[in-house]
Formats: sequence, structure tokens, C-alpha cells
Amino acid sequence: MTMASAPARPQSRSALKRTFERYPFLPALIILVVLIVLNGWFQPRSLSFVGITGLIKTYLALMLLAVAQTYVIYAGDIDLSAGAIVSLVNVVVVGFMAQWGGDGLTILAALGLGLATGLACGLVNGIVVAALRLQAIVATFATSIFFTGLALYIQPVAGTPAPTLFWRTYGGRILDIPFVFYVVVAFAILLVVLVRTRLTLRLLAVGDGQQEAFQSGLPVTAVRIGGYALCGVFAALAAFCITGDTASGDPLVGGKMTLFSIAAVVLGGSALAGGYGTVVGSVIGALIIGFINSLVFFVGTPSEWQNLVQGLAILLALMAGVLVGRGARA
Amino acid sequence: MKKSLVLSAVAATAIAFSALSAYAKDVKIGLSNGWVGSEWRTQMIDEAKAAAEKWKEKGINVTVEVQSANVDVPGQIAHVRNFISEGVDAIIINPNSPTAFDPVFAQAKEAGILVIATDAEVSSPDALYVGIDQKAWGAAGAEWLAKTLNGKGNVVAINGVAGHPANEMRVAGYKEVFAKHPDIKLVNEVNANWDQAQGQQAMQNLLATYPDINGVWVQDGMAAGAWKSIMDAGKTGSIAATGEIRKDFIDIWTKDKLNSGASVNPPGVMASALNVAVLMLQGKELKEPATAGQYKNAMYLPIPFIDGSNLADAAKALEGKPGYYSYTSSFSIEDAEKLFK
Repeated sequence: MTMASAPARPQSRSALKRTFERYPFLPALIILVVLIVLNGWFQPRSLSFVGITGLIKTYLALMLLAVAQTYVIYAGDIDLSAGAIVSLVNVVVVGFMAQWGGDGLTILAALGLGLATGLACGLVNGIVVAALRLQAIVATFATSIFFTGLALYIQPVAGTPAPTLFWRTYGGRILDIPFVFYVVVAFAILLVVLVRTRLTLRLLAVGDGQQEAFQSGLPVTAVRIGGYALCGVFAALAAFCITGDTASGDPLVGGKMTLFSIAAVVLGGSALAGGYGTVVGSVIGALIIGFINSLVFFVGTPSEWQNLVQGLAILLALMAGVLVGRGARA
Repeated sequence: MKKSLVLSAVAATAIAFSALSAYAKDVKIGLSNGWVGSEWRTQMIDEAKAAAEKWKEKGINVTVEVQSANVDVPGQIAHVRNFISEGVDAIIINPNSPTAFDPVFAQAKEAGILVIATDAEVSSPDALYVGIDQKAWGAAGAEWLAKTLNGKGNVVAINGVAGHPANEMRVAGYKEVFAKHPDIKLVNEVNANWDQAQGQQAMQNLLATYPDINGVWVQDGMAAGAWKSIMDAGKTGSIAATGEIRKDFIDIWTKDKLNSGASVNPPGVMASALNVAVLMLQGKELKEPATAGQYKNAMYLPIPFIDGSNLADAAKALEGKPGYYSYTSSFSIEDAEKLFK
């Protein structure tokens, strides 16, 4: 309606619209920058090298789990067992490291076994949801209880220590650069490679419309199982980070992370209905949660209000993201 | 008027000066609590804050930063990292895990921060534990029970959460004591997850199964539940059972003249830890280094015990407090000073 009076505007608007459509994580990125500035404002030291390293160490696992969750959500599914997989892999890895002794080779073997565990869990989820056609939300809720039960069977009490070599490496430095930064770089490369694979595209296509995807000849069941398998593998990677950071096994360590991982995906601008989103957004979403948690403390929230304010802040970030995205695309 | 002002200013300076000679530096302490499910934890933090306030009289400002929320272990690790970023001088933590904090405590130590765990022991060599010995806590109740029963009788135990470190240590404590009394028979042990209602239920079942019980060893809030069952069954006079330390229970104990005795895990442990921390930050050295416990890093605090002989005193100490308020005790600054050279 304003076309005639302002011919220049629609064009710039559509350019903006295109940018936001191309990078659905832009609103999240803006929120993240705001949060970083606020953190720096209230506690300059939180943005120091040590502060940032600590933040990455703390939230790397959540970033990985958010990415894990993204692949499932791409296809319009959901994984409520992601956190339970983290716990299971954590106790498997720590258990084997403790049993085989803590030298370099056995650590690598235990990690390999952890990856296999994650993959197996993902495959179970995929088969239950995609092949047996159970509702994803209920089926993965059930498998989450099953995986937690397995973890509790393997290690009934939190506490078995991980070998010193393992956590000293994870928490230490190589060539004066903290080890986690290497992990971040490897993680980034892995994501770039995965974005270019056919699986990502196919997952999004399935999420966009299962029927259409099936009619155009995609192996929908296999693609969805693939999404869950990828989720399991990334959940295992998240478990490695938790293990490195906590240096011990805990059969319940990941339980609370599941919903945070879903929140991170949504904060990052991906659609829960599937077919639309980015892994970068999910990583940003996880960072938003991390920065909110620390900001709540740095602004000096009284202890009895900390949970409440944290919840409100996440809600606000969600709303802001949705509003900014909608406004820009409208 | 003016004169008195000047005088008081001089006096204040003099006091400040004399205090300065004993204590040099203002300190900032971070308190981390990872579970907010009980009043005990709230009281723990409130007492620690009050203890920090008391240091003002000594001319030293102790600033306290609190992070207290329901978090998982990674969430509490984030607490510690936030404190490191904040640049606190010491961290006092009621930890959610005995082992998971090893790496982050190592980082805190690297950053020159003193770390003290309280209420639950930690394995980290970079931290100190200031709190009660949970095993001795369990043993104290068992000793009282054995003495009250004259070393003879059928006893049952109602425990907390199986596998929880504090629970396991308490269980080890009573087992060791009962083993020394061959005529005391431990007929059954059940778990009621530190839940008052479950404790009551468990006691009902036990009373139905074993009509000839003489004694009950039960922990914390579950004791109030267990005693409810004992009273409902009309066995108040014939059974001796351990008790707990909240005002509500102490009142019932007094009113109904229960045959009870309670080990005290005072919420003041964090306040004691804070006083120890402040003294350590002043550069003072412990007379005896903290090397107790399974992790060789513990300094155990005395465990008060309430029984018939001092019940009235406990009731008096709790007068006017709300029903959920726990009987408490902590090291005052002077008490803590005695531990140092």
C-alpha cells in the first residue's frame, strides 16, 4: 500500500527480509551481542580471556547437545532422551576408563566406545520413532527413562573419578592455547562439513513436508533414523565435554540438559515444526542461555530470585527473537 | 555537641586502628548452594550471611555473594566459574557432587581463590572441607540408642537416599556402633529418601512387621514421620528412637516426653566455614592442618547432641522461631580463632 509513495522502502525491506530469511539466527545473534555487552558491563572480567574460556568450558556440552537436537528437529521430530544419552555415555566412558587404567590408548578406546553408545541410542530412537511410527515426544520420553535406567545400572552412585590425564588434557593448554579452543575449531569444521552433506538437506526436506518428501522419492524413514543417529553421536560428544569438565561419572548428569537443548534450538530461530533452521542458531541459543545464567548473577539478583529471573530472562529472549524475526520478515 | 562528635570520631578511629592491627584486609566471599529443596539450606545461607555481618565489629568488611538455585552439577560448576570471574577471595560451596568439582576447584586455586566445601565432603586436593563428619553423626545417634537400650534389643534403621554419599557414611557410622553391641539386633534397614511422609509410612510397615521393636535409628526429617507412627501405634513409652532438630519436633518431643536423642547437623556449618575462610584469608595458619576424612582434606566440626538432659536448653534456643527452624550452632569468630596459630 505504500508502494507508490515510497518506492525505495519496499526494496530495502525486502533486502532485509532476504537477509533474515537466509540467516534465521540473526535475531538470536543480536540478543547474544546484547547479552555479551551486558555481561561485560556488569562484570568486565567475565569477558576476559579466562572468563570466556570458562564460559566455553561450561556450555560447550550444551552447544553440542543443542546441535544434536537440531538435526532431529530439522525433520520435525524431537528427542527428549538427548540428556539421558549424555548421562549414559558419561558413565560408560568413565567406567571403562576406570576399568582399563587411564593411559592415552585406553582413553581413546573408551571414547570410541562412548561414540558407539551414543550412536546406538540414536539408532534405537530412530527405529522406535521412524520405523515403528510411535509419537516422537512420547517414544523418546520412554527411551530417556530406559537410558537413565541403564546408566544407573552401570553406575548407581555419582562419583567414579575419570583418569587425571583425561581431564587435565581437557582443562589444560596446548601451545598456550586452552584445549577447549581446539575442540571448538574441530567442532566448527565438523559443522561446516555436515551442512554440506545431503543428509542435512534431506532432513530439512522431510521436516518441510513428509508427504511431499516421500512422494518426491526421498527415503523418509531412513532420513529420520539418520537424524536421530546424528543426534546420538553429538550427544556422545557433549558427554565427552561434560566428562572432561566434571572429571567423574554421574548417572544423572545430563538429565536437566534435554529441555535446555530444545530451548537453545528454538532460541536460535529454528522451527520446532521442522524444515527450517540452522545449527549455528542452536549454538548461539546455547550461548544465550549461558550468558543469561551468568548475567543473572552478575547483576546481583538476590539468591531467592535467581531461578525466577533466569526463567523470565529466557522467556524474554524467546519473545524478542520471535518478534524481531517476525518483524523483519513481515 | 561538636566536642562529643569530635570525641566519638577520635574514638572510632582508635577502634578502627586497633582492629586494623589485628585484621588487615577486606574480603569477598562467594557462597554456592546447588539445591533449594529444604528450609535447612535457606537457614544455612542466612546464618552465613549473618556471620559475615559480624566481622564488621572487627573492622573488616566481609562481602558475601550468593548463588543459590536448583542446578545440576554443570550448573554448579558455572556458579564456581562466575565466582572466579567475579574475582572473589574465597568460595564456600555446599556441593552437589563429591568428585565432579576437581577440575574447576583446580582452576579456582590457580586463580588464587580459597575453596571450602561444607556439609558434603569433596575429593579435590585443592579444597578444604569444613563441616561435620557424617559418619560420626550417624554413630552418635547409635551410641545414644545403644546406651538407652542398655546394649540390648531389636533395632530397625530408616535411611535416606541409597547411594548418597552422606547417607552411606551415616549408615557406616551406626553399623560400626551396633557391631560393638552383640546383644543389639539390627532386624531391618529401609530407605525412605529423607522424606517425612515416607519415613512415617516406613515406620508403620516396620511396626506391623516387627511388633517387638525396642529401638529405631532414623535420620533428619524422617524422624518426625517415624515418631508420628510410633505415637499413633501407642508405643511412645516402649520404643526409643532418634529424633531431629526442627522446632516443630522439639516441641512435640518436649510435650509428649519422647524417649529420643538427636545428632545435630547444624545449618551453621556454612557460617563456621566462613569464619575459618576469613581467618585463612588474613594469612593465619591453622594449628593443625586439615587432613581428616577419606579425602585427607577435612576439618571436622563438633557435633552437638540433644537428649533428655539438654532438651530444655534446645527448646529455649528455638523459642520464638518458626516451626521449620533447625537447632543450630556454629563457630563464632573467637571459636574459630582458637584453631589458628
